[in-house]
Amino acid sequence: MTDTILDKEQKLVQLLEQTFKKLSGKVVRQRRVTVSVEKELVPSVLSYAKSQLGYIHLSHMSCVDWPENNNFEIIYILWSPADKVQLFIKTLINRENPEIDNVDMIWKHANTYEREIREMYGIQFNGLVGAQEFILEDWDDMPPMRRDFDTVEYVDDNYTFRPGREDAGDVREEIVKRSGEDIPDFAKKYSRD
Amino acid sequence: MINDKNSKKIVDIIQDFSRRHSLFVLAYGTGCGAIEIPPTMTSRYDAERFGIRGMATPRQADLLLITGYLASKTLKRVIRAYEQMQDPKYVIGFGSCTINGGMYWDSYNTIKILSDYIPVDVYINGCMPRPEAVITGFIELQNLIKEGKANGAQKYKENLEWYRENQKKVIKDWKMPDYNW
Amino acid sequence: MNIWITILGFLATVFLAFVVGVFYGGFVRKITARVQNRVGPPVYQNFLDIVKLYSKKTAINHGWMQHLGPAFAITASVTSLMFIPILNGTGWFPWFENLNFKGDLIFLLYMMVFGSLGMALGAGQTGNPNSAIGVSRGLSQMVGYEIPWVLALVALMLQTKTTSLTGLLDYQVSNGTWMMFESPFAFVAAVLAMLGMFHYAPFDVPFAPAELSSGPASEFGGKYLALMMSSGSIFSFVKLVLIVDVFMGGASNLIMLVVKTFALYMIPVLYGIVSPRYRTEQSIRYFWGWPTFIGILGVIYAVFVR
Ligand code: SF4
Repeated sequence: MTDTILDKEQKLVQLLEQTFKKLSGKVVRQRRVTVSVEKELVPSVLSYAKSQLGYIHLSHMSCVDWPENNNFEIIYILWSPADKVQLFIKTLINRENPEIDNVDMIWKHANTYEREIREMYGIQFNGLVGAQEFILEDWDDMPPMRRDFDTVEYVDDNYTFRPGREDAGDVREEIVKRSGEDIPDFAKKYSRD
Repeated sequence: MINDKNSKKIVDIIQDFSRRHSLFVLAYGTGCGAIEIPPTMTSRYDAERFGIRGMATPRQADLLLITGYLASKTLKRVIRAYEQMQDPKYVIGFGSCTINGGMYWDSYNTIKILSDYIPVDVYINGCMPRPEAVITGFIELQNLIKEGKANGAQKYKENLEWYRENQKKVIKDWKMPDYNW
Repeated sequence: MNIWITILGFLATVFLAFVVGVFYGGFVRKITARVQNRVGPPVYQNFLDIVKLYSKKTAINHGWMQHLGPAFAITASVTSLMFIPILNGTGWFPWFENLNFKGDLIFLLYMMVFGSLGMALGAGQTGNPNSAIGVSRGLSQMVGYEIPWVLALVALMLQTKTTSLTGLLDYQVSNGTWMMFESPFAFVAAVLAMLGMFHYAPFDVPFAPAELSSGPASEFGGKYLALMMSSGSIFSFVKLVLIVDVFMGGASNLIMLVVKTFALYMIPVLYGIVSPRYRTEQSIRYFWGWPTFIGILGVIYAVFVR
């Protein structure tokens, strides 16, 4: 059953693997395909998918931080209106020297995603033109979306917590103590423990 | 504004009455709480009964309504808007986010306690407060004005250094004049 | 002695115009609220607003033209008020006759534009981009509605062979008719032009609070705004009384005056409440369409039929 249904997905993976030697693809489920490539190959895979395979739309471009493996993973999500298949193109780059080629000549709007990723993860896109500051203003710390960035510590340094709100703990007891009222029954149902 | 009750002249009484009953609101609607402003103003809850009316620019407004979280980036604009308002002016902090950070208590780019940066006359708690709560907050402010206790602007002027210090801690690149009237 | 009575009468008239205008503003807010199924502010709300705005402190200065802009506006409204016979006959306000002269209708046409020009200069000085956009929109819209308005008045002047307001009033009183029946096309054109003159929706694009942050007034707070609100109230009263005088035979007592002006005022107000907003070029196209055509018809009617 699966064979007949996943026909076009498997054909896509085959086609990509034939064209590019260092590429491994996998059919996740119906209408979803993941492909892992080396970072040098990314622009050619993208332009090949766009011009030859009909994946003309870049839906999204995102980044995941993997400090365990010392990697950043960049993901391009493409969509083909003809095939109705979502193609995920993933690539791993080193965390020490994060650098990757800029693809905004293939899709113009990639520029915005790239600027956001550059600001939030500190990844350099070679040849990317655009103002350095995107959303954050006067940011002088580590890029905030990296997983080793400790937000609580940062907040502690830069802002003041209101007493009683230093963590996400349950404050109902405290409220009861201060106001002298009982916790209503309906609220007890939603206890955090 | 803060007069001895006995020495209050008739002019002051009229002035106070009209101040209380004609609040022009500048809603700074960046947080999610701003979604509660339209119901408050329109037919269901109708805040215009109390003389509360939206205004478009800080020059014309008396009341700055901060609806929800403030990113450190927007704080700069809020300070500008607040300082451009003409005396007497009031601030209402709206939602838990302005009180203690709310659900953004550990976010790296929202301020936690609004009254550290600009003087707040009334806080309305809730995430997000319902229009009833908002109107109660307005009435509370009216009562404060009546008692002469809504003097946040005066507090701001007297403790300008303290406020500036706090503001400059968050806004690192301070490119504004020292006080923009 | 006589001069004192004149001055006293002048002050009384300004006060009357202010009070009536502000109450009309309150009624408009109340009516708008009722149409939108709200309770609405009390009728005296506009008084509270004006008192509060006058009692606000002002700490801004953009140059002397900014101070003069609202002053120009209120000067224009008060001056136009002085040239308009509030009541016909010589019963209550006899001092107006001193200020009447031949051609005061033409003078009024100029005087009524003066306030907007003063506001434009004042708003231009503040340097706020929203003000500049609002001023340019307002002036272009004025070009739109001035044409049917002037055509309507020209039709009247041709028909009655007089350019003075008292002359027009006398004509109506002695002939026992109202100009709105004598010259219906001119009346329709004038009412359509009046829609634009009051700047209620759909012709409120110069002040659009949602897109322009209240346009020319965006840098004016406190006293300036209060001055502008007072001058707006007086000016709306002026416009109403002028149209009542010209088309509806004036009023012989204050109650008649209030009834007539209020009835007339409801046309732009009720039309405005149920309308969305026109863009500038749409409103100009509107004014240069049917209203102008009807105005021209009015002129033709005055010249050839009468
Ligand atoms: S208090 Fe709640 S509703 Fe209001 S801004 Fe914060 S998170 Fe949003």
